[in-house]
Amino acid sequence: MTNAFWDKLLALFSWACALLLVGAVSVIIGFLVVKGYQTIHLELIFSTTRPLDALLFKQQVFDGLFPAMVGTLFLVVLSMGFALPVGLASGIFLAEYAPPRVKWIFSLLFDVLAGIPSIVVGLFGFSITIFLHHSFSDRIFPCLLISSLSLSFLVLPYIIRTTQISLESLPLQVRLTAPCLGATKLENIFLVLLPSSLSGIVSGIVLAIGRCAEDTAVIMLTGAVATAGVPRSIFSSFEALPFYVYYMASEYADPLELTKGYGAALILLILCAGLFVVAYAIKTRLTLKTPYRF
Amino acid sequence: MPFKEKLARSLFFLAAVLSAAVTLAVLGFMIALSLPVLKKAALWDILSAPWSPDHGQFGILAMIVGTLCIALFSLCISFPLSLGCALFIEVTRPGGPGKVLKKIVQLMTAIPTVIYGFVGVFLLVPIVREIFVYGSGMSILSASLMLGLLISPTMILFFSQSFARVPQSDLNAVDALGGNTVQKLWYVMLPHAWRGILTGIILSFGRAMGDTLIALMISGNSIALPSSVLDSARTLTAHIALIIAADFDSIEFKILFICGITLYGMTSCGILLARGLDRKPR
Amino acid sequence: MNTGYRILKLTLILVMVVLQAGFCFASGLDVFKGENRVLRISGGTAHIPVMKEAAKRIMTVHPDIQITIAGGGSGAGIKQVGEGLVDIGNSGRQATEAEVAKYGLSMVKWAIDGVAAVIHPKNPVPSLTGQQLQDIFAGNITTWKTLGGDDRPINIYTRDKSSGTREVFWKRALKKGKISDKAHFVTSNGAMKSAVTNDPYAIGYVSVGYIDQTVAPVTLDGVTPSLETVKSGEYTVARGLYSNTKGEATGLTRKFMDYLLSPEGQEIVVEKGFIPVN
Repeated sequence: MTNAFWDKLLALFSWACALLLVGAVSVIIGFLVVKGYQTIHLELIFSTTRPLDALLFKQQVFDGLFPAMVGTLFLVVLSMGFALPVGLASGIFLAEYAPPRVKWIFSLLFDVLAGIPSIVVGLFGFSITIFLHHSFSDRIFPCLLISSLSLSFLVLPYIIRTTQISLESLPLQVRLTAPCLGATKLENIFLVLLPSSLSGIVSGIVLAIGRCAEDTAVIMLTGAVATAGVPRSIFSSFEALPFYVYYMASEYADPLELTKGYGAALILLILCAGLFVVAYAIKTRLTLKTPYRF
Repeated sequence: MPFKEKLARSLFFLAAVLSAAVTLAVLGFMIALSLPVLKKAALWDILSAPWSPDHGQFGILAMIVGTLCIALFSLCISFPLSLGCALFIEVTRPGGPGKVLKKIVQLMTAIPTVIYGFVGVFLLVPIVREIFVYGSGMSILSASLMLGLLISPTMILFFSQSFARVPQSDLNAVDALGGNTVQKLWYVMLPHAWRGILTGIILSFGRAMGDTLIALMISGNSIALPSSVLDSARTLTAHIALIIAADFDSIEFKILFICGITLYGMTSCGILLARGLDRKPR
Repeated sequence: MNTGYRILKLTLILVMVVLQAGFCFASGLDVFKGENRVLRISGGTAHIPVMKEAAKRIMTVHPDIQITIAGGGSGAGIKQVGEGLVDIGNSGRQATEAEVAKYGLSMVKWAIDGVAAVIHPKNPVPSLTGQQLQDIFAGNITTWKTLGGDDRPINIYTRDKSSGTREVFWKRALKKGKISDKAHFVTSNGAMKSAVTNDPYAIGYVSVGYIDQTVAPVTLDGVTPSLETVKSGEYTVARGLYSNTKGEATGLTRKFMDYLLSPEGQEIVVEKGFIPVN
């Protein structure tokens, strides 16, 4: 009797929590969908400019999301360009080369780096820019390059971690076969270990891309502005999707702009959720295949 | 070792050093840039005074209190919720519904922070204002509710991971002795999993302290010390975002680096604690 | 192969001609021809609508020019242009003598603007005396009931120290009185307007150019802030909108400043709700 009572209570509590959480998330997403779905069409992105002209960068887009989307794309590409090689190499070092003590120190530092609030990284990026502006060249401003460098600091620990963990969790069989057949350590890493841990690494990378696309605190300090058009070079200011959403939420000029804000928020949400699903798909697909490779 | 191997090894090492240097560079820069302020005023004065640039007072006490209040309160909201969800996933409904919930929670990690802020401004703030008939609705409560939602996936995933690690044989033993689920939870699962749970709490607390956008958008950013959860408050992160536009020769601007160090210090302490806990006892 | 190349060339020329035809209609914008630089603008947030419109018109006709616009407030604008971080720093107040001397700034005033206290349009308290306004912002009057409105606390919204709008409002309307600690902070004129629109019990202050049906100006000592009362000098919480450059403006920056003062630029000023200087 009492057993059943306590069990029921626990079940009730967990059901309530689960429903509350799912309910809250559905309200958030539902609110955006209801308010934003009507605005989602080409005009939201390209405004009055012809899409083809915009895509070929022939004509600037005003009052549309296009510059912000291009800005976010550039940000992601650049910051992954910086973070990926360094992060992969560091992850490989930690998993395959580092002696225990060194590994301990490095992973401590990376954990701390992962914990630093993004606004602090942004402040760091901004003050470095000012410092460089004063001491090296007065042609250095807060810009796309600085933003993407700062963002790459932010995602570096994620990439390192996933690389390290994916490599370390490989079974000993996989690890030892190639060296026994005479492969060098480097060959083993690049031809055996990396390919077999690819699923983990790639899904980690996709999640890092999501992080780059969504972070607002870093870019609002290091070069994102209200109006810039499509960035001309990596040394110019830029617009970005999350910053646009923030900007619209706090200073929309009229109801029309506000609905654009809803549209932008919905697009950002779809983008990030999409990236997540891609990461998930890669992980499950490749994980299913890997065991049969060796 | 052939040359190629050596080269690769040193390149990998170099990359690791470079990444580690970033961590130290951020700390170094913050310290170096806040030293000039610390020479002029004692650290204690900065940490304990009110913020009133018109009267030459540049204390960040209200922001530190605001940060802690909002983070703690969001933890209070999120902890029971996350515990319940983790139990749902691992204990009460480990089958179909639990799996579905886990997928949803994982998907939640992908929701951008600015989205929570955006919905907070237009949906939550008016509701809070009308329910409590007090203030503007931009309050610690609104920010904590949204932050609680933001950090719950981290907590739920940590909790359910640690529940899943409890040895199945111990659970079977409880069943064999005729124990109920609550006894199982209390005598077997929690003793096994408390480290994981605590780690999850600490990491989410760090996440809550480090978040900028939610606090900036829906906590109202006032500089008074908050006296109730319906009061508006300013966090350290929002303070940085608000003051960054100021003249960068001014004291206001330089104080930002003190804010930065404080945040860096608080989150790093959390990480150290979490790492200490995470190490398995011998 | 060769013909394909020729066709491509011809198409390109044709496209150029068609685009060029579009250029011919733009009158005041011809001076920008041949410019292909990036023009960086930041600072005062009251200026943004005019800047955006001017940038849009210029960039539509001359796609090679890129104009970036950021906010930050007047203080930031003056500082950033002084340090050479931007080409034009906007301010909603005159740069102080110290600032002018330190950076060698040159100012152009291209519009006149007022700063009005604003409330939600549904708020039944449409007019205040100067003393009441000061008491509200100082936190001495805390509910709308005292002033004949609903029994709800007054939510004060203010700007940070970098804001020129705040400076003018604080000096002229609040007579340098205290602003309560409990006030919410927002970062721009636009943010102030949307904050007051969203909160039925709010009071804040914005540039007169920003006032539309979503916020209601507060009649101060019997004078309703509007373009007419600011123009006639009846409403005294007024100021100029300035654009500052480091030294005399040259090149593209010069052309942009001239454009603001040109008939077409002044037309934009009127369209966005400010008072033109010419």
